[in-house]
Amino acid sequence: MADTVLEVRNLKVAFPCSGGVIRAVEGIDLDIHRGECAALVGESGCGKSVSALAIMKLLNTPPAVCRADKLQLDDLDLTHLPDRQMERIRGKHMAMIFQDAMTALNPVMTVGKQIDEIYLRHSRLSRREARQRTIKALELVGVPEARSRANSYPHQLSGGMRQRVLIALAFACVPKLIIADEPTTALDVTIQAQVLDVLKNMQQVHGVSALLIAHDLSVVANMADTVYVMYSGKIVERAAMQELFVEPLHPYTHGLLASVPRISDDRQPFVQIPDAVPHPMRKPTGCYFHPRCPRSSDQCQQRMPRLESLDHEREVRCWHPLRQPHEVRS
Amino acid sequence: MIRNSPDTGPLLEMENVSVNFPVKGPYPFSKKRWIQAVTNVSLQVSEGETFGIVGESGCGKTTLANAMIGMVRPTAGTVRFQGVDLYSLKPQVFREARREMQMIFQDPFSSLNPRFSVYEIIREPLYIRGQASETAMKAKVLELLKLVGLDEDDMYRYPSDFSGGQRQRIGIARAIILNPRFLVCDEPVSALDVSVHAQILNLLMDIQKSRHLTYVFVSHNLAVVKNICQNMVVMYLGTIMESGSSDAIFANPLHPYTKALLSAVLDIDVTKPRDRILLKGDTPSPIDPPPGCRFWQRCPSAMKGCATIPAKLAEVEPGHPVACHLISGFSPQQVADGLHEPVSPKSGG
Repeated sequence: MADTVLEVRNLKVAFPCSGGVIRAVEGIDLDIHRGECAALVGESGCGKSVSALAIMKLLNTPPAVCRADKLQLDDLDLTHLPDRQMERIRGKHMAMIFQDAMTALNPVMTVGKQIDEIYLRHSRLSRREARQRTIKALELVGVPEARSRANSYPHQLSGGMRQRVLIALAFACVPKLIIADEPTTALDVTIQAQVLDVLKNMQQVHGVSALLIAHDLSVVANMADTVYVMYSGKIVERAAMQELFVEPLHPYTHGLLASVPRISDDRQPFVQIPDAVPHPMRKPTGCYFHPRCPRSSDQCQQRMPRLESLDHEREVRCWHPLRQPHEVRS
Repeated sequence: MIRNSPDTGPLLEMENVSVNFPVKGPYPFSKKRWIQAVTNVSLQVSEGETFGIVGESGCGKTTLANAMIGMVRPTAGTVRFQGVDLYSLKPQVFREARREMQMIFQDPFSSLNPRFSVYEIIREPLYIRGQASETAMKAKVLELLKLVGLDEDDMYRYPSDFSGGQRQRIGIARAIILNPRFLVCDEPVSALDVSVHAQILNLLMDIQKSRHLTYVFVSHNLAVVKNICQNMVVMYLGTIMESGSSDAIFANPLHPYTKALLSAVLDIDVTKPRDRILLKGDTPSPIDPPPGCRFWQRCPSAMKGCATIPAKLAEVEPGHPVACHLISGFSPQQVADGLHEPVSPKSGG
């Protein structure tokens, strides 16, 4: 598979703690193709951010325990790569955009200097050349007066501008993969629209693949090509974006989509999913979603369904999906 | 405005309310500067309705909500609750009036005391009032726990044992224990998981129906506001840009800011492509804002006069006032001065 940029097989992350083990991620597989934007959607605590950090190898081990059968970035095998060598990959071959730009940026360093660092670290450039690249990078993400703004400190910039700086940072070396962890959650709607526009544009211009982590389905609907839906550490559904939003197959995805209030129609009361996400240390037996699921049966309480593929295009982990598979691949 | 019978006034009325906060100057004895959080806002909330306040962060919607229930004293203007000027009341009477108005906070993690049990949290308002016996309070708390969908066993557990949605239910029970008439919900679901939003919103609507409450619903989520509010205001930098029934505003947004806000909202309807108006720049600082229309720097259709002449709310359709020079137009003299010419040819998106 030449055009797969990121291949993750059976990624598991656990956090041992005093009361037991929190299994945050329970064996997920991801395939991200060149130029594609894949989204990992789920509610808080479902393990989406932890998955992203595990792929970047940014989790502290211990306390975290990470295992993966395969972690391949393009032609680089990261599965057992030691920290030292990961440092050369992060920033250059894969980069991350964090949610909160105020904490992600160094408050006592000008933003220009922080971007310069990336160029100085990963390519042989003089300081002056690095600064020129930095200014160009800032211009690309739509920072006005980039030359003077490069000398500002993060607190002097607005939230939208800071997020643009983070995007410029991530795209500085034109990596193979960008992981964007809730890039617009901290922003207002009008600014969110601007930043998503920049992100999408940058991704298309450079042909970079992206893994978007989001809890907001509307952001996903506007950005992603492929969507992975996570629930309690497992992937419950994978589909192309259009198909997922038009015809969700997992009852969780279906409930989630139905419960989002839309501007385009009036529905009252809102469709609701009962109860709440299970505590990570007290996950139910069988399918994790069965206590909240309208379609649950005895089978669901006893055994966790497998992620089965439907029509070769999409996968769903459910004993009673909203549409039965025409054919089931083993 | 909808359900009001003509002889009774609105439940809550704000007239030309402004709230300013002082900011420290860069050096001692420097001239004091003011954050104009809310400027010259007038509105009416009728009995039994849900009134929406919409805007981006920093536009003054929470300050406005706080001024409604007596948590922030306005710098100017009057707030009348049931026809009585709230801020002219003596402290004791004021406290009585405050019992009629309660608040549900945005963050259920910081708004509940972690060292209080659920029982102590919910009974606190009754306890402070000091008229109910322990058994009466217990019975009342139990009744409310059931109403908001929690169990009797939950009474002596602590907030840390609960999920965000359950905590918000506790916050709702606390807010309604004194049987208020007026409830301010300040972003009640934005800190919660997506799958829980609908539960909490439905609960709020049920309580409103069964207890005949009036809600002021502060939110940045336009889809929620559209679905639950009858009337609403759109705020920008402390001023009202557009107000009216939510049906009218969503069907026919008139102010350029409302239009941009509506089009910036990402919808999950993937089947319908939409034109998006992308606003340039950020919300300017509310410290010493510009004298003219507060939106003009970001406005796709700004005219020369917008920078200097404040736009006043003017009714375009009955009950649908808009503050925009595009709608109200300039006087003949101003037109003669060329104030109606566009600032620069900009495209809307």
